[in-house]
Amino acid sequence: MAEYERRNSNYRGGGQRKRRYREDEDYDRRPQRRRYEEPLFVLVRRQLLTLAESAARRVEDDIVGIAKTVSENYEDEELRDTYINISLDLVLEQPMKIPFVAATSLAVYNLKPELGSEMLSKASNALQKYIDSGSWREVKLLIRFLGGLQAIFEGDGIFPLLEELFARAVDLQTTSSEDLLGLELVKIILFTIPYVMSSPATGFESQANALLEKTDIIASTPHTLVDLVNTFSPEENKEAAGPSVISLLQGQLQAEAGKSWELKCLPRPWKDVQEREPDEQKPFDVVAKVPFPQITVPNPVPNGARTLFPEVYISVFADQEVDTVPPTSDISSSLLREALVDTINLLDFNRVATAKYLIDVDNWYTPGTFVKRATPFDRMREMAGEVQAWKPEDVAVDAVFSQLYQLPTPEHKLVYFHALLTECCKIAPAAIAPSLGRAIRFLYNNLETMDLELSNRFLDWFAHHLSNFGFTWKWSEWVDDLELPAIHPKLAFIYGALDKEIRLSFAQRIRGTLPEPYIPLITEGKEKDTPDFKYSSETTPYSKEGQEIMQLIRKKATDEEIQPFIAAIEEQAQSMGVEDPKVPSTDALMTAICYVGSKSLSHVLSCIERNKDRLLAIGSASTQARCQIITSVMEYWADQPGIAINIIDKLLNYTIISPLSVLEWALTESMAAGTILSKSHIFEMISATVGKVTNRMRQIVAARTQPGLYEPQLSVLDETLARERADMQALFKFIEDSIISVAAGSNDEMMERGDGSGDLPDDAIIRQWGRRWLRVFRRKSAVEEAFITDALVNATPIGTNAPAKTEDGDEDVKIADADDQ
Amino acid sequence: MSLLAINTVDRLDRPSAYYVGKNKRRRYNDRDDEKPKEEDPTDKLRNATTLYVGNLSFYTTEEQIHELFSKCGEIKRLVMGLDRFNKTPCGFCFVEYYTHQDALDCMKYVGGTKLDERIIRADLDPGFEEGRQYGRGKSGGQVRDEYREEYDPGRGGYGRAYDEQRQREEDEYGAGR
Repeated sequence: MAEYERRNSNYRGGGQRKRRYREDEDYDRRPQRRRYEEPLFVLVRRQLLTLAESAARRVEDDIVGIAKTVSENYEDEELRDTYINISLDLVLEQPMKIPFVAATSLAVYNLKPELGSEMLSKASNALQKYIDSGSWREVKLLIRFLGGLQAIFEGDGIFPLLEELFARAVDLQTTSSEDLLGLELVKIILFTIPYVMSSPATGFESQANALLEKTDIIASTPHTLVDLVNTFSPEENKEAAGPSVISLLQGQLQAEAGKSWELKCLPRPWKDVQEREPDEQKPFDVVAKVPFPQITVPNPVPNGARTLFPEVYISVFADQEVDTVPPTSDISSSLLREALVDTINLLDFNRVATAKYLIDVDNWYTPGTFVKRATPFDRMREMAGEVQAWKPEDVAVDAVFSQLYQLPTPEHKLVYFHALLTECCKIAPAAIAPSLGRAIRFLYNNLETMDLELSNRFLDWFAHHLSNFGFTWKWSEWVDDLELPAIHPKLAFIYGALDKEIRLSFAQRIRGTLPEPYIPLITEGKEKDTPDFKYSSETTPYSKEGQEIMQLIRKKATDEEIQPFIAAIEEQAQSMGVEDPKVPSTDALMTAICYVGSKSLSHVLSCIERNKDRLLAIGSASTQARCQIITSVMEYWADQPGIAINIIDKLLNYTIISPLSVLEWALTESMAAGTILSKSHIFEMISATVGKVTNRMRQIVAARTQPGLYEPQLSVLDETLARERADMQALFKFIEDSIISVAAGSNDEMMERGDGSGDLPDDAIIRQWGRRWLRVFRRKSAVEEAFITDALVNATPIGTNAPAKTEDGDEDVKIADADDQ
Repeated sequence: MSLLAINTVDRLDRPSAYYVGKNKRRRYNDRDDEKPKEEDPTDKLRNATTLYVGNLSFYTTEEQIHELFSKCGEIKRLVMGLDRFNKTPCGFCFVEYYTHQDALDCMKYVGGTKLDERIIRADLDPGFEEGRQYGRGKSGGQVRDEYREEYDPGRGGYGRAYDEQRQREEDEYGAGR
């Protein structure tokens, strides 16, 4: 909007006008100012942007008002442009308003067909561009808008376009059983039908039903990847595993067809006007029909920039005694969710506005769809059985969680969804906070079977959210869970959440927010800014040398000065028969670096920087010593694992340690019969390490697939890619091999514990951790492999040489010519 | 992917009015003595990867900042703002990311949220230069902490200039005036 305001001031020589206006003010300061007459386009722009936003005005009146203004002032070019551009902007950025924008356009078309045609041609041009670039969400929204105008089209209107999209989907599906683009096209078709059927157009039931019959086979067949992206692994919790969005919608639409397309929640802002104004020219009665705009759907259709995955429908308000959100049997569940999710993802650049639109969700749907805002849950319980209506806050919160919980990755960074929920809470604390509370309880109660990546996202969000609201949470309700085994997912969550809270704050502060039974979890070590230096105690082996090394590091001594003490430790170790004497010397060095650098991250970084060469040499000389670097860091910061994993991350950047060494440290050295898998910071560290490798891999893929790349660089990059790809596969294989024995219960350490039966009370829990870890890293591996394979499809093949340069240098023409042959 | 030139709501990843204003003023002054500079002040921010972060508590640590800001991407460098004389944190810092997109996301998702229970501010910055880590206030901290009339326990209590004045008045009162 800012842009509009700025442009506005220049309206028709506005600069001059403005100056005069200002002079007036300088000369006399009477309270009455010269009345500034707002240009029409400014008024209409504001009316359009706030369409359906006010409960005080009837949206029908606004729609007819806007339509009359723009059609009566057809000669005003600025007004025409504003009306068309803002309408399309709204379609593409605020999808929940599409029915209102479409109703406005319909009225405009009837009052001034010229303007209506101008709008149609602009909309169809945009649609064509988005189809050609494979921007399927935008395609879906523009088609929905055109679908709302179905009444003005001749013949079957939009249906032939939908049929054509379906034909493409069939082609794609028959070519590959793993196809997702075809599913996306079917999704577009399915999400268009309800908006056509709720538009003023009548008599299209047979077309809709025929289409639905055809889409059934594609939409209802579960995709092979759907289990992989489920919130709950069907293996762990078959009941909670959600259906795919598309199969759910297919069923709901079929049910709706049986109810003569009731589509209760979708607004019909034209209906009331139609009945109210019997004499006047009716704004929604079509005078003259036009053919549907010419749209070409290329064959095959292009893939968009974003990798597609099946989507699963989840609700954090499932399983309540009273339904506060529409159940999956109700088509409202899909329609509300889809519009809100698109809004959330399209407006990530202004979380405050997005939060407001979420809170205002009841504005965009048929009155009566929702109960009054901020209706307490208990009141919902009392009302149960009366008219069914949903709690707007729950529907909004549910939509945000569905994105926070999107697998494999949501469209935006997770922190966006954190910030969005925070903003919702700020705008309407009394309404949103209780909804979040119930969402938290649902997630907490399902921690055991939830996908492990998602339970970690939950942890991260929970701590971050509380940090924005004074760290207040009703911890007392989980007190009983403190009795659970330490490795239980619920207790692991509590440990992890408190650790993350401390990282964003400090131990003493967090201790103050907890009820008494939790106090022992905030250990003394967590409150220490500088953990003790173990070599200060004389009982620690090599304590004298350890202290010397520490003093030297503190004094920024040279490598030569440190060397004698390193050698002294190694000599002693050798004489004591230590297998690898470099291990104790590395321990002393790295622990000293941690201790001297304990003041802050930059301190430890400069310490590492100064001793980089020595550390790098250790890594290449001995695997065990390299592993010891990690051990020393993790042990020194055992009470504040956040700092430890941060240092590990930097050590990886310096290539002092390798990604594989981090995995070896965690999944071999420290496996502790699988119990390490319950620690959230270990999952965080391994995920970050794997993330580093896959990011690098993606950069190489991007380099390899960039257009205009020729030999010999092509082969060089291809070799790098092959090598790194093999390394990445080895990494995933290492994780698989280390964890599979835990998941199966055949891990050696596990077998050796207790009586060897594998039936210790904790064993079942450990096996479950193993299965959940496996699932996450198998998915990551599959996602990366798919990404590389997809990207390489269109890469320039090896052996392509640069085209010979011509004198006049018009290479483009040459390439085009070559294509023609 | 969008073809839109204009958004229907404001964007939070634009340079702040402060940045734009500061540079406009400078441009205006330039015009008085030299030739007018025609470049847009926001040009320097086109590929900016650094953010100026303000309204931190003096007690907020690097680790806390790291924990929050790394939610928007890997941090390349973190420079704490220090009191020019004491070399202690004085309530601001520079966070540098590897990519421009991460910096924009940080403006959108972290700016205006809380760290250490204070609403922090994040503004796109053309890049850290040596010397900018120090407060520019008279007594070494940030200018805003010189003349603050409200008590802010996270930022050294009252404004330092007022604090001095109050101290002087108290002394004079004690001396029998």
